[in-house]
Formats: sequence, C-alpha cells, structure tokens
Amino acid sequence: MLRLSGRLAAAVSAGMLTWAAGAPLAVAQPTDRAITVVLPTEPDSLDPCDTQTATNGNVSKDNIFESLTKVSPEDGTVIPLLAASWDRVEPNVWHFHLKEGVKFHDGSEFDAETAAANIIRSQAGTDFYGGALACYNSEQFVERVDAEAIDKYTLQVSTERPDPIMPLRLTYIDMGSLESQQKAEKITNPVGTGPYQFVERIQGQSIKLTRFDGYWGEIPEVKDVTYVYRTEASVRAAMVETGEAQLATAIRAENATGDDRTVAYKDNRIFLMRVMTHKEPFLDPRVRRAISHAVDRDSITRALMGITGSPWYQMLGPQVNGFIPDFDNSQLAYDPEKARQLLEEARADGVPVDTEFLIISRPDQLPNQTEVVQAIAQNLEQVGFNFQLLNMEGSAWLKYLRAPFPDDQPATLQMVSHDNTSGDASFSFPRYISCEGPVSSTCNERIDELLKQADVAADEERAKLYQEAARILYLEETSMIGVAEQARLIRLGDGIRYDANPMSGVIIRIADIHLSE
Amino acid sequence: MITFLSRRLTSSIITLIGVVVMVFFLARLTGSPVDVFFPEGAAPERIEAFNRAYGLDKPVIEQFRIFLWKALQGDFGDSIWQQRSAMAAAWGEMPITIVLAAIALSVSTGMAIILGSLAAVFRFTVVDRTITFFSLVLGSMPAFWFALVGILLFAVHWRLLPTSGSNTWLAWILPVATLCLQPIGVLTQVVRGAMIDVLTSGFVRNARARGFNSRRLVFRHALRNAALPIISVAGDIAAGMVNGAVIVGVVFAFPGIGKLIVGAMLARDFPVLQASVVVVGISVILLNLIVDLIYVLVDPRVRLS
Repeated sequence: MLRLSGRLAAAVSAGMLTWAAGAPLAVAQPTDRAITVVLPTEPDSLDPCDTQTATNGNVSKDNIFESLTKVSPEDGTVIPLLAASWDRVEPNVWHFHLKEGVKFHDGSEFDAETAAANIIRSQAGTDFYGGALACYNSEQFVERVDAEAIDKYTLQVSTERPDPIMPLRLTYIDMGSLESQQKAEKITNPVGTGPYQFVERIQGQSIKLTRFDGYWGEIPEVKDVTYVYRTEASVRAAMVETGEAQLATAIRAENATGDDRTVAYKDNRIFLMRVMTHKEPFLDPRVRRAISHAVDRDSITRALMGITGSPWYQMLGPQVNGFIPDFDNSQLAYDPEKARQLLEEARADGVPVDTEFLIISRPDQLPNQTEVVQAIAQNLEQVGFNFQLLNMEGSAWLKYLRAPFPDDQPATLQMVSHDNTSGDASFSFPRYISCEGPVSSTCNERIDELLKQADVAADEERAKLYQEAARILYLEETSMIGVAEQARLIRLGDGIRYDANPMSGVIIRIADIHLSE
Repeated sequence: MITFLSRRLTSSIITLIGVVVMVFFLARLTGSPVDVFFPEGAAPERIEAFNRAYGLDKPVIEQFRIFLWKALQGDFGDSIWQQRSAMAAAWGEMPITIVLAAIALSVSTGMAIILGSLAAVFRFTVVDRTITFFSLVLGSMPAFWFALVGILLFAVHWRLLPTSGSNTWLAWILPVATLCLQPIGVLTQVVRGAMIDVLTSGFVRNARARGFNSRRLVFRHALRNAALPIISVAGDIAAGMVNGAVIVGVVFAFPGIGKLIVGAMLARDFPVLQASVVVVGISVILLNLIVDLIYVLVDPRVRLS
C-alpha cells in the first residue's frame, strides 16, 4: 500500500485543532434520531462523477457514494474503502481487490465491472452514457487511464506512464450503480454503496437521506439526515443555536462559541498571492520578492482573521509532501525597508516598477476577505506599488485566474485560496506553477523538470523533488506567495459529537457523528 | 376603455421584447457558463461537447435567432444546472413570490393608510411627529440589516420565530416584515402628504362646515380623493417586491423567483435567467395593467385622457 509521506501522520495530528474530548469507548448503537445539517450552498449535482467539489462532496461523498480508496483522516495515508487491498503488478499496472458482498442501495451488487465503468466514465473524452456531460472528478487523472475487470472482484487499472499515486487518485472516483447512470443527463436519483441512501430532493430547499440498512460497514447512529442551505454564516450559526440544525459548516470566527460546540480544522488551505511573472512590473524577480516583504502577515492575521488564520509563507500546507519543513520564513517575511530597497534597485536598473497592476480578489474565500485584502493593498501602497484593487464575484475572478492571459490585460496579483486534502503536491504544483499549468503564471524550466521527475517517483524521493521545486518557486520565482494558513470552523448542536479532521471541508461523513442524550 | 387597455398592452409587449433582448445580450456579457461549470484545466473536448449541447458554439447572433424563435413558442430550453426546463423552474418559483409579495403589500398598504391618515388628521401634533419619525426610520432602514437583526432578536434571543425556511407559517413572519418595513415608511409619508392636500382642500372644509362626521369624512371621502398617488406608489412598491424577494431569498433561504434569479446569475444558467426575467417581466406588466385599471375605476379623468 502506498504511503504518501513519512511525516504526514504527525503533521496531520499536529495540524488538527479538533475537539478531542471524550472519544467513545463503546461501539455506537444505531438510533432513530434525525439531524439537520446546514450548508452554505446547495449542491449542484448528486452525480457520483461530481463529488470533488466541496459543495457536492459535503452531501454525497462517503454518505451516498464511496470510492475504492480513501485518505485516512487520522494520518493522511491512503486506506481501503471499497477495495480491500491493491498491488502494483507492473510499474504502470495496478490490481485492486474489491470487497465482496457490497451492495448498492438498489440491491444490485458492486463488482469490478461496475468499478471499471465508473473510472472510465469519469475521464475526459469518454463516450460512456452521458459522456458529453461535465464531470468534475475527471481532472484527477493526468492522462488516460484504462480500467477493466479481471474477474468479478479484481479490477485492473493501467496507465501509459507509471503513476505511483494511483490509489490516491482513486480516492476521488466515486462509485455509482450503472443503472442510475444510463441517461444523457445528470443523475437525479443517486444510487451508491454508502451508509446513507437518497430519499428526496426539493430543489432550492433540501436533500433528505436515510440510513441504508444493507450497508456493508458499521451501521451509523444517525437514522435520517436533512441538508438545508443558508448563504449567511450568521444564519447557519443561529440555526444551531436555536436547535433548528445540529451541524453547521463554514462558520465565521465571530459566531464561534469558544467551547466544544465549535470545532476547528485545517485542511491545508492557504490564502496566497499569485503574481504574474511575464508582465511588467513583475518581470524582475526583485519586484515580486518586494511584494512578499511588503505584507505584514502577523498583524493582518491577528487583527482580521483571529482563530481562522495564521501567518504563512509557502504555497502548500504542512501535510502536503511539497511543504518544506525547514524553510526559513525570514527570507520572505515582512520587512518594508527591504521591499523599498528591492524596488529602488530594480528601478535603478531600468525596471518600470511604477507600472500599474491589478489586485484581483473575491469576497468569499475567507472570513473578512475584503478587509484582509484591503490591508494587504495598504501594505503594498506603503512601499510604493501602483495598482488597482478589483473585488469581484467568483466566476469573474476565475476568468482572471485561468490561462491564457490576454495580452492587453495588465499584470495581475491574484488572491487565491488553495487547498490540498490529498497530501500530494501533484494535485497543486502542475496546475499552478508549471509552464503548461491551466492556472499558472509561472514558467521555470527547472521547476518543470523537477515536477516531471516527481510525477513518476514515489515516497520520500517524490517529496524531495517537490520540495526542491518549491524552494525555487519561493526564492527565485516568488510568484506564489503565502499569506495565511486558514482554519475552518464547524458549529455543533447539543447532543452531537463530531471530530473535525483535515478532510472535513469536503467530506462530512454522517456515520462519524455520534449522539448523546 | 378598450382603446386605453389595448394601447397599454401594446406598449407593455414592446417593453417585454426589449427586456428579452437585453437579458439575452447582458447575460452573455458576464462570460460563459463554461467558466463556472468546468473545473480548472478541464479537457477541451469536454468543453466543446458542453458548448455544442447548449448551442454556445454558434455565433451570438445565431444563438439569439434560435433563442427568439424558440421563446416565441414558449420554449426557453433546459436549465444547465437543474434537472428541469427553464420555464418550469421560473413558473414553479413564482406562486410563492406572488403570495409573499401580496401579503407584504397588503400589510404595508394597510398600515401606511392608517398611520398616514392619523398623521395627516393630527398634523403638527405629537402623533404626527412620532409617526413621521418612525416612518422615516423605517423608510431608510436597510432590509438586509433588518433581516439579520430580526433573526438575532426574534429567533436566537427570544426564540419566538424560526431563523429561516418557509415550512411553517411562523417562518413567514420575518420575511414578510423584512419586505414590509421600507414600504410602510415610504407609503406612510405618501399617504400623509396626499391626505393633508385633500384635508385642506375646499370640499373638505365645506363638508366640515356643514357638520359632516369627521371619521366618515376622512376614511370615505378624503382617502378616496387621496388614493391616486397612493395607488401609484403602491404599484411601484409591488414591482419592487421582486428586489425584496432577492434579500429574503438570500438571508432566509425563502424560496421564490428572487433566489432563483440570483442563483442563475451566479451559475450563468442562461436559460433559467432568461425565463425568470421574462416571467418577472410578464408579472410586472400584469401588475401595471391592474394598477391602471384601478386608476380608471378610481378616477374617471384617466379614462377620458
């Protein structure tokens, strides 16, 4: 079994700010109790192919649908779920041995053929049933993956090039019954193998699930769960306060209770600045470095983020194998004098440091984001940068994020909130910092070469290559500049116990909720 | 009368066509649904297939021609995000918005008539100044702020009402109050002004001199004569209830056309956005026709002009 990183276990436990009091010693008993979970937004799809986004995953992942493997919330390793075990039979061929006796909610059996079909469907360009439909999970495979059943419970997955993290990639591919996916439109009656089965969805209002009595694993305590959606964080918190809901996600620091009714977790989510490297005034790396030295992360996080943020300098969180544990933060830390000096040196060498650029932000990536970005802008203004601050809604922001960048568009400094729950930098670096990355504004041949080598390396060697690329990114390119490590909050009602973990941003497994009188 | 109505109907249909054209092109200025629908770095063949499926691969003018032809047949296409036709989604959300708006309008108009009339009858007294003060406060109170404070006080502190939702009649109180407050403030001032004009006019002074019962004079004769500006402003407020429906949709998760439009805009669900705006447009046109009819009934001069 693949082990992602030797230090992952310690890092995950250290990074979690979970409520750990009183873990249950006795085996939980199923009850007839129902709970209501309040989420910020309604899922846009209940398709097993779309569970990657938090909006959809919060409801369906590990509740309705399950994958072959999963990332352990305890130590970050890849552990079995619907696959009992796996072998790497050749460098580019894996065999997954599936659990026997697993049933879908409609009573049909889960087998290797179904697993293969789900993997094929999730890929770009497939003509499997509704192949023309978008599939959020499709981007988890870098290149074409073939999947076929060897026998009823053995699945073969092969790639053209060796892919040492295939079991990790398969944590993103959820399994739905084939029967439910044979239409050319999105699934409205999801059928998975998870501990909860779909009951009804009232568009715009709620989704109801109920316990699946034929579940292959331990039967959960909660019987029925209703998901409702409230955009306002204060309303979500108020619903738990009044007993209308028992669990509310994405709570603001000001709505935290300060006791065990609010649980915090870190999911390697970093708030950072993506600086363009191919347009003035950012062509000169000294100008980009000056950006990092201009931002007073300590004051900003302390004053504006409270318990939901702490100063950060790298692009990745501490549980990801590309994180550099011994990185000297002072090389990028707040030093306005140094920032001014770097700008003066660049100016003296003829760099047009006064060229106006755009700061692109959106208000919804972290609590008080507008204020945080205004504070950053003030810091930049103080050292002499010339910019316009643009605050926009998500889809407009996304347009600025994606390459290719129009020639007539000024250079941008874009505020990004990036998470990596997989623990592997391949889910971050190729997209954000390689020359061909779809959201990359960085192009460095040495970084690309290291990423290429890391792609086929495993374990410590893989981590070392990613860390080497990260060092070049921070100290030579300085194009992805960390600002804060984000913590996220969940509010719990009385009689509910839930240990938040680094996966809680995407997966709220109802079977992990425990009830007391 | 028929000429008047047919003229109004014709101009309304021209307005509706203008709205349809504008919403089509303005929606596309915001960008493509592809930006929202696909994850970063999605495969080009997926994007192409998506564009083909929704006709987004054709030139905009061609898209518009197809849209217009289908729209004339009542076909606004299928929602990109929801598993239903765009028109079904829009009409499905309209009844609850109409009921909410009707309740809010009735409450605010009733309250405003009582308060405005009292202020006019007792003008320049403590009663008038108190009503004027509170109506100005209500008229300038941001609905969004009131909604959040309302939840904090009535749901969290006093536990009298639910925080949000629409499942019980109690859940309607805060949304209705949120929609009512500003209109009560504005309408009270309008009623007060109109009533003062009427109460100081010659026929009222004459009636008073002839010993007419004061209450009957105010509520039957004076109020009827002050009705035109009140109807006019109330009509505008009714149309503006759609904006209020957006706020109650966002804060209270109250279903309705407002919530649908916001969701469609953010998701760039063009078919739902277009269908919703047309449905709202038709509703506003019908509302204006009703207001015009009431005008005609109340004031015969309108008919003549």
